[in-house]
Amino acid sequence: MRNLYIWPDMPFLSILMLVSTSMVFLYFARAPLHQALDSLNDGIAGGLTKISDWIKSVVVKLREKNKRVLLESSIADSEQKIAQEFKRMEASYTRHLADYPSLHLKLDESIANIDSDFKECGQVVPEAPGWSDAVESIARMKGSASGDRVIEKMLKELHKSAVEGEKAALSEMRKTASKRHKILSSLAPTWTKILKLMNVVSTKVELVLETTGKIEKYMQEYSKVRHGGADSIDMLSAKATKLFIFSLLVILVAGFGAFINFQLIALPMSELVPAGARVLGLQVSDVSALVIVALEIVLGIFLMEALGITGIFPQIAGMTISKRRILLYASLLGLFFLASVEAALAVLREHIAETNAATTQALAGKAISAVSGNDSKITVIGQATLGFVLPWILAMVAVPLEMLIESSQHVLNKLLILVIMLVGYLVGIIGHLLNTIMKAIIHIYDAYIIIPTQIGNLIKGKS
Amino acid sequence: MITSIKPHILLLAATATLLSACSDNKQYETAICALADVSGTYAKEKGNMVQIIKAGILPKMLPGDSLALIAIDSSSYNEKNIKSQLTLDYRPSQANVQRVEFAKSLDAFATEKGGAQYTDISGAMMLCSGYLKSTQAGNQVMFIFSDMKEELKPGLKRSFNNDEFTNIHIAAMNVIKLNSDNTNPQIYRSRIKKWEERVMKHGAESWKADLKPTDLAEYVDSVR
Repeated sequence: MRNLYIWPDMPFLSILMLVSTSMVFLYFARAPLHQALDSLNDGIAGGLTKISDWIKSVVVKLREKNKRVLLESSIADSEQKIAQEFKRMEASYTRHLADYPSLHLKLDESIANIDSDFKECGQVVPEAPGWSDAVESIARMKGSASGDRVIEKMLKELHKSAVEGEKAALSEMRKTASKRHKILSSLAPTWTKILKLMNVVSTKVELVLETTGKIEKYMQEYSKVRHGGADSIDMLSAKATKLFIFSLLVILVAGFGAFINFQLIALPMSELVPAGARVLGLQVSDVSALVIVALEIVLGIFLMEALGITGIFPQIAGMTISKRRILLYASLLGLFFLASVEAALAVLREHIAETNAATTQALAGKAISAVSGNDSKITVIGQATLGFVLPWILAMVAVPLEMLIESSQHVLNKLLILVIMLVGYLVGIIGHLLNTIMKAIIHIYDAYIIIPTQIGNLIKGKS
Repeated sequence: MITSIKPHILLLAATATLLSACSDNKQYETAICALADVSGTYAKEKGNMVQIIKAGILPKMLPGDSLALIAIDSSSYNEKNIKSQLTLDYRPSQANVQRVEFAKSLDAFATEKGGAQYTDISGAMMLCSGYLKSTQAGNQVMFIFSDMKEELKPGLKRSFNNDEFTNIHIAAMNVIKLNSDNTNPQIYRSRIKKWEERVMKHGAESWKADLKPTDLAEYVDSVR
């Protein structure tokens, strides 16, 4: 600073001189400097505004793209669901309605039986003749008390014949009535059978109707998605986010499971793969253990694909049932093999751990603590079971993995949009701040040259 | 032509990446050297010293780690002073067998009769430095079991190279105080201070004076 002093012995005067000179210089340079500052302001603020606008347009484009992707994936999902339901319906029709003709035949037979029995019952049987009236009339005839023995005998014979005829007629009528009752009573099981058959028909029709109801529901969803309204977009977005969060949680839990699985087999693997090399900083034995865990997940993916639960690989989905069955059995066999290997490794791990503990105790000069046989067995059984079960649990990770991959596209896009929007807002705020600062600089500049400006104004006013 | 070359280039690049990702285990291994003073008053500490190595160092060693026991006597810069050495196998079961065998050799060393008139600590340190460097281990540690009072035989010359202890962590363990130290503790302190200055001047990674056996495990972990 001292170097700038015109008169080093008089600092105050030197500073005053410097300020005055700069004021005069800046007063005369006011117009070009104002222009320069304005240009700079326009350049920076304008540039930032353009960046902000560009970010906004990118956000709009990304939103549109995200919306399109969401709709398209949802449409594809709905179509797949409907196609699956149609397949199920076909299977349901085949399974439930395949025996309908025989059912119908049984119903027809039962109805025909009822009809014939009914007809038989309806046949008019001969009525019992009016024997009673005849017997009574003969009994009341005067000839019976006339004393004429011939007439009397004849009438008695007639009366006897009439009584016998009446008895025979009554007996015949009773037989016929009994036969009808028998026929009618034989109708009861037929009615029960018909009732049962009708129930079966009703159940099967209900099942078929249920499947049809599902299709109707999916069709409604499909048309809603196809329409692509704001409500449906929000619904789909919420659905995808929910799916993402839940599948992420499941994957995280599965990750911990995989870690435990790795820890269980890493030590015994060093006994089996004792290499002195490393890959990416990991011991070869650790890499081998990781490969086993990864293979279990891969086999799980193939298993789920073969079962048709997931649809990651279209080639597998397009396979014939027999080929998928082969894949299913191969995956099951592979998983069983790996699970057995892990169980064996878990047993080996316990053995190594026990030996290590015993060696450490022996080196420390302590007496080797006696571990009860039962405790040791329980640990070994526990570890072996864990080693056998964990691969099967890990195999199921394919389902949430597919869900995560599917939903992550939308969620990550949303996050990206959020980040870009944030950057856009920041750029806007910085632009606004710089604009304000530049204006403030111009005002300070004007304030600094206020004295020469006022003098200049006075001179201009006088002239 | 280009399309036919491309897969080959990709294959080569992938192989090269995979190969570059593979590395030797040496940089992750630890080589330890235990210098055991068998001269003068410290000779009676042999049993205690062996117990510290057995209980504190051996169990902490991992597969691939190396350990050597070097005796400090009148003239220590001699291969014969390497009493025992081992490099642990990568198989845990085999490593345990080696630990037990090494412990036996330590016990035999503890029962050995005879001491030394002079104390050539520097010679043993130079021998140890050579051993540690030959292992090429990523972590190198030198434990000195001694009272740290050097008495060189007339005629012996011991001077360290500038990089003598580069990459080596040095710790003085189980340092017993001499009668003169008891009379004037400054003698002990200045002796230890001189050692620190000397080893650090010659490139030692770190220096730890009077490391307690109870802190041994923690120290080995911190060095790895």
